[in-house]
Amino acid sequence: MKKLVKVAVPLIAISCTPASFAEIRLNGFASIHMSSLNSDNGGTPFSQYNEGTFSFKDESLFALQASSDLGDGLTATVQFVGEGKDDFAIDARWAYLSYTLNDTHTLSAGRFANPIFYQSEYEKVGFAHNYARLPKAVYAGFDFSTIEGVALDSNFYVGDYTLTTKLLYGNWDGSVFLSTTGQDEFFGLKNLLSARATLAGDGWNVFAGSFIAEMEGGTIDQNAIIGAAAPGIAAAQALGATQAQVDNFIDSVKWDGKDGIYSYLGFNVDRNRFIVDFEFASYGVKDSSDGWNDTWFFGVGYRLSDTLAVIVHTEENKQDGADTDFLDGVSNPVLFATGAAIKESLSFSEYEGTGVTMRYDFHPSATLKADYFMGESTRTDIGDYSIFSVGVDLVF
Amino acid sequence: MKKLLISLALLLSSTAQAGVAVIVHPSNASNLGQAEISRIFLGKMKSYPGGGPAVPINLAEGSGPRGEFEKAVLKKSASQIKAYWSKLVFTGKGTPPKEVANDAEVINLIKSNPNLIGYVSDTAVTGDVKVVATF
Repeated sequence: MKKLVKVAVPLIAISCTPASFAEIRLNGFASIHMSSLNSDNGGTPFSQYNEGTFSFKDESLFALQASSDLGDGLTATVQFVGEGKDDFAIDARWAYLSYTLNDTHTLSAGRFANPIFYQSEYEKVGFAHNYARLPKAVYAGFDFSTIEGVALDSNFYVGDYTLTTKLLYGNWDGSVFLSTTGQDEFFGLKNLLSARATLAGDGWNVFAGSFIAEMEGGTIDQNAIIGAAAPGIAAAQALGATQAQVDNFIDSVKWDGKDGIYSYLGFNVDRNRFIVDFEFASYGVKDSSDGWNDTWFFGVGYRLSDTLAVIVHTEENKQDGADTDFLDGVSNPVLFATGAAIKESLSFSEYEGTGVTMRYDFHPSATLKADYFMGESTRTDIGDYSIFSVGVDLVF
Repeated sequence: MKKLLISLALLLSSTAQAGVAVIVHPSNASNLGQAEISRIFLGKMKSYPGGGPAVPINLAEGSGPRGEFEKAVLKKSASQIKAYWSKLVFTGKGTPPKEVANDAEVINLIKSNPNLIGYVSDTAVTGDVKVVATF
């Protein structure tokens, strides 16, 4: 409630700003979904869901955005989001200034989206896309989809096509839940450089992007990697491993100082009533104990009318937990085995699945979505699972 | 019955012939085709090909000419357009055109501002504005 008050007071203040100040434009979006996840073995593949129960919180959210045109191309924007999975605690997701340099370029600074996937900038705006939830294999919900930095958005015409680019520099620190330690572990992305390009024609887009950042290992290194390796290191030293060998081993497995790399590409078509979406993403921490991730989804849909669309999609999340190239410089067999085991333990579960979504635009600002997804996880506590959801996405 | 059939035929005939005229200020010499008009109304083009800011004016949601314009020029349904603008609004990349209630308001605004571009039912066009395209 304190958070709510903290947000409400400035909002009321800006809405009561005297007329001589810039006009504040308020927009919002919301999703109210009822969802249910059921798995064969009782586990849940995504932490936001509670297995075996109907919930109005797991996929629901409310958001309010305030923006103001300050004149001469300068705009200030703040976006507050409260998600059911976080008990609707309000978070200032974005807060940034934009300056329109000319018709082609816009410069932004502050806290905003890090475009790690094609639709990640508006993935929470359910009304803006056709899925009840964007495929989890690609849209994994990483916290570093929001970062602090500067960005240059540009728009070019190439004959009949539009080329849109985004260049971004920023930093991020936060946490990710690790099943191997059973808790949130903190790490950081330093000096992140990101580039993305989208070529758009009449009813289609082709896109690709990538970012590279220097990893700050944080508690992932301390707890999940070096901490987890402590018994193996002790055993190796007891068998005669030197300190130099141990140091070399730690350099090989840790994340700190390594390159975090994210790349993605894909296309989408929404033309003549047909919808086709494909996205592929590949990411990981180079030369470390992190297993490389390859994820993708492919969707095909048809607009039965101007207000009714049905999309079927399939998705897959794979992680290479067996590659031991990062241990090439580790000759001690105990340390080598320890490193390989750590990599395997850090590997997320792999999964694949197929889903069908119906979108019905029953109102100019609201759409009803129903979705059924069937998946299969490699985690033994999950096995086969399904997610059903139905609800309304709206903008205002 | 005969009167009913004649009325129905006239209604269908007038519906089939009703079009949308894209209009600008009479001083605007820009040569605009469907692609340029679409880009302006989707926020992708902010200046006229000949120079000067291009500011689109929309009719209110649900008005007849708006639906025809969106289908014929923007090639999208009303809900697709709304979803499109939702992406831009909530990523800070654009705001939808200002909306007015009817054809007369569009014409009144455009005849007094050379930067504006709008559309009206082709039967509503007056000599105060210039038609650059019809659909």
